[in-house]
Amino acid sequence: MTTAVAAFYFDGKTSRRHAVTLEVIDGMARIYSSHEGVGDAAPVERVCPITQLRVSERLSRAARKVTYPDGAYLEIQDHAAFAVLLESTSHRDSLVVRMQQNWRATLAAAAALIVLLIVSYLYLLPAASGVIARSLPISVEQRIGDGALDFLDKHILAPTTLPSAQRAAITARFKTLTASMDAVEPIPPYEIVFRKSRIGPNAFALPSGQIVLTDEIVTLLNDDDAVMGVLAHELGHLQRRHLMRRLIQSSAIGAAATVLFGDVSAVIANIPTVLLDMKYSRDVEREADDYAIALFKANGMSRQKLAYVFEKLGEKEAAGGGVPPYLSSHPASAERVERILNAQ
Amino acid sequence: MSDTFDQPGQPDFPAGPNFSAPPVQPAPAPVEAFSFSGRGSEYFRIWIVNLLLSVVTLGIYSAWAKVRRLRYFYDNTTVAGTSFEYHGNPMAILKGRIITVVLLFGYQFAFKLNALIGLLVLIAFMVAMPWLIWRSLQFKLYNTSYRGIRFGFRGNAAGAYKVYLWLPLLTFFTLYLLTPFTHQRIKRFQHTESRFGASHFSFNGSVGAFYKTYLIGFGIYLAGFVAILLTIGASAYPFVGDQSFGAGHVFSFVLVILALYAWTFLMYPLFLTLMQNLIWNHTKLGEHGFRSEMRWSRMMFIAFTNIIGIVCTLGLYTPFAQIRALRYRVESMSLHPAGSMDDFIADNEPSGSAMGEGMTDLLDFDLSL
Repeated sequence: MTTAVAAFYFDGKTSRRHAVTLEVIDGMARIYSSHEGVGDAAPVERVCPITQLRVSERLSRAARKVTYPDGAYLEIQDHAAFAVLLESTSHRDSLVVRMQQNWRATLAAAAALIVLLIVSYLYLLPAASGVIARSLPISVEQRIGDGALDFLDKHILAPTTLPSAQRAAITARFKTLTASMDAVEPIPPYEIVFRKSRIGPNAFALPSGQIVLTDEIVTLLNDDDAVMGVLAHELGHLQRRHLMRRLIQSSAIGAAATVLFGDVSAVIANIPTVLLDMKYSRDVEREADDYAIALFKANGMSRQKLAYVFEKLGEKEAAGGGVPPYLSSHPASAERVERILNAQ
Repeated sequence: MSDTFDQPGQPDFPAGPNFSAPPVQPAPAPVEAFSFSGRGSEYFRIWIVNLLLSVVTLGIYSAWAKVRRLRYFYDNTTVAGTSFEYHGNPMAILKGRIITVVLLFGYQFAFKLNALIGLLVLIAFMVAMPWLIWRSLQFKLYNTSYRGIRFGFRGNAAGAYKVYLWLPLLTFFTLYLLTPFTHQRIKRFQHTESRFGASHFSFNGSVGAFYKTYLIGFGIYLAGFVAILLTIGASAYPFVGDQSFGAGHVFSFVLVILALYAWTFLMYPLFLTLMQNLIWNHTKLGEHGFRSEMRWSRMMFIAFTNIIGIVCTLGLYTPFAQIRALRYRVESMSLHPAGSMDDFIADNEPSGSAMGEGMTDLLDFDLSL
């Protein structure tokens, strides 16, 4: 009935290796020297309740270890015999070990992991970063954006050449338009900043709440309503805390990519980050478009004017003037125009 | 700091049988080779389950994952018929990791808030780092055993500050010319302060040997660099004076850049090989010596094919790659006993803190070599 298993015993005090035989009888594990009288080693005999012993997890090749409370342990290489012995006791592998040693469970785990990553990417991460971004005070965002305008002024922006009357008119008109939105959703603090650009027609929002409007885009559109559309879109970014959300999302993706590929190469780890982040970029652009649509609707303005913005920028793109920065990593212009015109 | 030649991807039990010293049979003791019985297919299963549970528990399980991973590596590393054992406690590791994450967030936030506060925090980190590394070494070694005898790390904070703060600072201010010297001092500190039970390791690698190894590594890099320029590069511009710049030229140009990037990447396994050999060939445990006979061409080949495998499988090959590299590193090692190795005795020492451990492994400090 009992199974005898060959093992090596180490007492935890010296490095001497004792060849022993292990048996379990009535819940007591007994070991005794296998070759008595060999060498000068004193024969070993030890009896211990199996409830006090700790068995190492099952691996396919590595020797198993049975540890005594005092640090002494047995090393067992005969997997088959030891498995029979364990079978006769109440020892069971943990759930994790059973998963690790089973291909079907492993493949299920791999599938679950992939599904989880996709769901996180498509839904969980955007939702979580939205909640986090909203719960952070605006002052945090403003601190992050501090100095961004100074930096841009030094490198790609120059003082505006638009007449001050035109600037004042744009600012004043946008203020009246946003007033009607304030009742629905509070308008975040913002400031319209006019600049001449060295990189073509552009408009963008900074975390500090500044909306930079370039002379070039005002000239290109040559239409007050359309300029309002551009501003509404940028205000949408601020209102929905897009900059903070993007920051959280790209950090999370970067961290995940580093876990998977960081070992290999920092450059390779960045490729998925950039590719995956594009979707988030397009998503927030659509959200900002929606905000602009809502603002136009609240003021009874024509959505045609909003669509006109993207038609115009799309034309410039098609004309081969290079992709305007305004459109990079943005949804295709034609798609946006269609979306705006079909919005309810 | 100077320990940049370890594969960051390598598990924390990195230079194969790290600090792992070992005993053997009686008198005219034969050479004992280290063997590694881990297999990619088995480690893949452990890896994927670890990954899933870590994601599901938002990272909490990662401490248990680390213990399972290290146990797998240690249990499968054998010398003289006996394997190693890892005793790290997941709760201790988890605590270390939580504190580290909180500190790192605080650090990031401090910088965003105010550059001066950020700078102060950075200085505080630099000052704390040697202490953390020292505690981490204690934790790692104390939690490793062979034949029932625990390893340990003595050392003191002053020694740690000298090699992990003052020398790196000095190296920085001397244009990194002291790098091999600092590296030698770090290794000397690590290896002479390590012990197996009550027996001490010793290290006799000289500063000159470190400079020589760095020069050899750098020479190999330069030779490869020039060879790439002369072969692929020359095909891009076959004749001097030919000013036409066609598609073929662009292609060759891209090829040169890619080849140079790949070659530069391969400096990692190159230095890893040279360093593992240098360090273990000058380390002894009592009177017992070690040999490490890695070949850099082989290690480069493994690293290169591993990367291709990982990229082509979107990361799923990673566990196979780790096992493959680790196996080569471990199996290049052997133990040269000077006599009976049955007589090591245990020593009782405190265990070091997992705080240091959590910190250094989140910051990707590999202390292996």
